[in-house]
Amino acid sequence: MEGQSVSISGSGRVSGGEYSQVRISGSGRVEGDVVAQEIRVSGAGRFQGSVKAKEITVSGAGKFSDRVEADVLVTSGSCGIEGDAEVKELRSSGAQRIGGNFRGHYVRVSGVLHVAQNLEADVFTSSGKFEVGGLLSADRVEIKLVGDSRAREIGGENIDIRASSGFSFGFSLTRGFRLGVGIGTLTVGEIEGDHVLLEATTADVVRGKSVRIGPGCKIGRVEYTDSLEVHPEAEVRERVKR
Amino acid sequence: MDEDLIAKKDVLEATGISYGQLYRWKRKGLIPEAWFIRKATVTGQETFFPRDKILSRIEQIRSLKEEQSLDELVQILAPEAAPETVRHDDPPALPSVGPEGRKLLWKDRGYTFGELVALACGANALRSGTRPAEAKLLVDLVRADEAVVRAPTGMTALLGEKSFEQEGFSVRIMFALLGREPLRLDRESRVKHRVDLEKVTEQVKLALREVA
Repeated sequence: MEGQSVSISGSGRVSGGEYSQVRISGSGRVEGDVVAQEIRVSGAGRFQGSVKAKEITVSGAGKFSDRVEADVLVTSGSCGIEGDAEVKELRSSGAQRIGGNFRGHYVRVSGVLHVAQNLEADVFTSSGKFEVGGLLSADRVEIKLVGDSRAREIGGENIDIRASSGFSFGFSLTRGFRLGVGIGTLTVGEIEGDHVLLEATTADVVRGKSVRIGPGCKIGRVEYTDSLEVHPEAEVRERVKR
Repeated sequence: MDEDLIAKKDVLEATGISYGQLYRWKRKGLIPEAWFIRKATVTGQETFFPRDKILSRIEQIRSLKEEQSLDELVQILAPEAAPETVRHDDPPALPSVGPEGRKLLWKDRGYTFGELVALACGANALRSGTRPAEAKLLVDLVRADEAVVRAPTGMTALLGEKSFEQEGFSVRIMFALLGREPLRLDRESRVKHRVDLEKVTEQVKLALREVA
């Protein structure tokens, strides 16, 4: 892609178009659809059109009022996308909000992620806090719970949800466990997977082939086909083998 | 709308596929979102599918996936889910486009799914006696919006005509319009041709599957 670079370091606005690089370090607004190799927002950037880029980095505050397509999106600041996002690789250590659906390959959350509708990926890993308004679906869902996370549904092949390991928190975590509260929780309506392992999770229904319910879980009903293990410090109201 | 439905867990049991496969196929678009029907039951929320559609789709996926990758399968079974993956070189071979349809948008090769649907809309209009220049309006309109072929349910493309006379001049304007039904035109306009996009998309999809 041949195109010019544009950099806003004071305050300014540019129109949409094709760029090789867009850098906003002051306060900037981009009016219209943008196609770019690289977009960097370290100040406050507002994009009032759809955005297509190879790489987007937001370390300041980025706002996208339409659809975003990217190979890589890295957020360490705050990034809001009001439309859908199609991003192969999403890494959020800051705050990432998506107003529509998210589709991608790899998602890594260590900050906060909020998706209003569905989140679909091949791999979803989180050691942060997330909220998904619809279905969170991935081949591999690996979650280390920090804070209180939620989703309406989770579905995939391997689902592994653990309370955070206690090393850096010493005895408080083990105590927390005894009380049935870890330092993080997950609340979800329905979980479906082939191999499901849960800790500190509250769910209405869990369905799977092999299911392990760990400490701190509160599950309404578990339906399983192959095996079920329930930790003594978990609560399962109903168990159904099919 | 009282279709015969089957619960998700019964689908898994009947076909022997795993949750992982089901969700993966859904993500790929091989199983359309619209087939997932959520219903309240005595034991809470459950997901149901139209029985015949889901069972035959799973059968198709399983019989084809030996030789083909999932992305190729999407192209064959559900091109509307990923129109960007379709590259078709011979539109006249598709009955809904035909040689006359191809003339509305000439390319050497590599027609996308959206373009094929657009051409089929144009060809559809040509066959009912619309002039090529007018049919071209439809083609250009449908082609411009990929979202249309991804979700064609209830979408209509139409060719309208408006004539009026003013100070001795008589003017006739042709226009194309794309939208979700019900579409309304003002009283001086009339519909010359109407295309049901869902139907055309389905035709193109079937034709592609046959030539594949």
